[in-house]
Amino acid sequence: MRDAITLQTRAGHWLVALLVLGGLVFAVVGFATGDTFYLRLATEALIFGGLALSVDILLGYTGLLSLGQALYFGLGAYVSALALIAWQSFWAAIGASLAAALVCGLAGGLIANRVRGVYFALITFGMAQVLAKAVYNTRALGASDGLIGVPVLDINLGLFSVSSASPVGFFLFVLAVTVLFYVLAAYLLDTPFGRLLIALKANENRVLFIGYRTSTLRLGSYLVAAVIATLSGALYPMLRGFASPELLFFSTSGNAVITVILGGVGTLVGALYGSVLLTIVKSVVGSWTEHHLIVIGLIFMAVVVLLPKGLMGLVQPALVSVLGRGSRR
Amino acid sequence: MLRLKSTLAALSVSAMLSGTAIAADPIKIGVVTPLSGTYAGIGQQVRWGLELATKELNATGGIMGRQIELIFEDEEANPSVAVQKAEKLFQVSKVDFLTGTVNSGSTLAVGQLAERSDKLIATTVSFADSITGDKCSPNVFRVNAKAGQQSAALAAWLVKAKPQAKVYYLGPDYEMGRSTVAAFKSNVDRVGGQSLGEVFAPLDSKDYTQYFGQLRAARPQVLYTSVAGNDTVRLLTQLQEFGLLEGLTILGASGTVTAQNIAAIGKAVEGFVTGVGYTAEIDTPENKKFVAAFQAANKADPDLYGADSYGLIYAYKAAVDKANSTETAKVRDALRGLAWDTPQGKKTIRAGDHQAEQIMYVVQVTGGKFKIVAQVAAADAIGPDVCTRF
Repeated sequence: MRDAITLQTRAGHWLVALLVLGGLVFAVVGFATGDTFYLRLATEALIFGGLALSVDILLGYTGLLSLGQALYFGLGAYVSALALIAWQSFWAAIGASLAAALVCGLAGGLIANRVRGVYFALITFGMAQVLAKAVYNTRALGASDGLIGVPVLDINLGLFSVSSASPVGFFLFVLAVTVLFYVLAAYLLDTPFGRLLIALKANENRVLFIGYRTSTLRLGSYLVAAVIATLSGALYPMLRGFASPELLFFSTSGNAVITVILGGVGTLVGALYGSVLLTIVKSVVGSWTEHHLIVIGLIFMAVVVLLPKGLMGLVQPALVSVLGRGSRR
Repeated sequence: MLRLKSTLAALSVSAMLSGTAIAADPIKIGVVTPLSGTYAGIGQQVRWGLELATKELNATGGIMGRQIELIFEDEEANPSVAVQKAEKLFQVSKVDFLTGTVNSGSTLAVGQLAERSDKLIATTVSFADSITGDKCSPNVFRVNAKAGQQSAALAAWLVKAKPQAKVYYLGPDYEMGRSTVAAFKSNVDRVGGQSLGEVFAPLDSKDYTQYFGQLRAARPQVLYTSVAGNDTVRLLTQLQEFGLLEGLTILGASGTVTAQNIAAIGKAVEGFVTGVGYTAEIDTPENKKFVAAFQAANKADPDLYGADSYGLIYAYKAAVDKANSTETAKVRDALRGLAWDTPQGKKTIRAGDHQAEQIMYVVQVTGGKFKIVAQVAAADAIGPDVCTRF
């Protein structure tokens, strides 16, 4: 007999497998029709899906609402852009981004985790604003113009290499990386550490009473989220060839939170589906009317009212009951 | 069976028709411009300008006998969105040309995309010098005046109106504020003016009087400022309250005093001088015709964004006619060195950096409205070509 959390995680795995399958079919169709735009749009959706995934680790599991996750996304984008311009090497860019994520995540985590609830949301928001303003006014980072001229690169994966300019190749690469983020997050949340995070969300005092240092747990969760957000951000300049201060703005953080709520809080996979859906809706509705923000706002309101568990709330319970029956047999 | 045959016949006829119709397919111009948010007002002018020119040209046969079709996308003044929308227009709508980007970051990022997609773009709004300077691209053109041209025009006027003027600078304390002050200062030094000192106030300052001591002690004849919006309102009204406007000429960047804040500044704005590439006041038959047509179509006056965007369509027509093609390489060659007529006067695209050379106007507020006080020849305002990429 498995517990509810395990079953829910299993259901998530199946949904990710479905997403990968859909992605592969999409890649084949895209490749066959010689498409560029839709493949690259889907790549962008997955990159922002990684950012949303990091928000879900904090919001859905640890119960921390971050309104400044763009800080790490933008950090990754800028560090990666600078590294790519300097060395034209994928691994150098990823290494530099990872180092920056660990240092900044630790510093940011120590600051933000001194407070809880709405104060945590405000501090994360404030930290992202500070970095955004600093970048916006730094000539060496291109100031308000952003950094352009990130070269097209070949990602050397040992056995073969992928060009960031190849729509289908880079899409499959980002799909693989995103799934890797999911696997990493799902694995961590399935360990005793992950279970403690879930307990923390339910009642922090009780976790404290059992004898765990909750501040370390919260910091750990914050750090994991920071790393995933930064590495997602590091992929952005490889796709689009630039980094701009707008990536650090509240609109980016806010979008990630909306994505998670749309997809389903506390499901991990919901963040990925949410991002794909939101990107499609924005692109289609945006071309159709300049009042697209109103349309997206209405969709968001409808989801919050009618589907409090997001899109995943529609399918996951059914999947859980099927899996539950299977395991009982 | 008969029906199938006739369907097949109809299909083959329509296939033949579409084969011959390629020459008459519209020329598509993509427009990625802010239609929502803070910059929606600028995007509106861009749209009106482009639509008016397109309507006029389509009525007289379009370009090479083909109609012009504009396809709009909302840029949201965000480079990430602009690049995504531009890629959609390039790859899905297969546009021949693209314009509309407003903030300089968007223009630079979309320019890079254009270069990688082998397409051409032009901006009619962005004024950062870098676009046709150190970050120039063979696929990017600019038909509006850059910041350097505005500042050079103002300095050229200053040296005639007040030779050896003593100038003091007050800018907003952020990157763009500091760079506009530095640019004007270098122009003043170049024309033999005397720079007395500079001070930077935080954005959204409520109280500028703390800087007035320094300002008075320096005894300048001219104060140059690049503050904008409500900051201008506070700065100018406080200067007036302290009686410092007496004998002091205020110069500013083109965004310092606009239609949006001029009424709020009131009397303190009298005598304010700035350099612009276009004003509806230009007294030529071409401009009067343009303003009348613009008002009839949109019930509003054109501003510089509307006028520059209007002119761009005519530049594109001239280039495509000259190249007799819409292919990127041929149109690029045709645009280089192209001279064409606009409501603002003749413009020429400098081949070395793709920057339009144009007459600049120095305007002064008289009776609450901008009046032209001087014209600066295109050659005196353009500045050196610093683009080294092509």
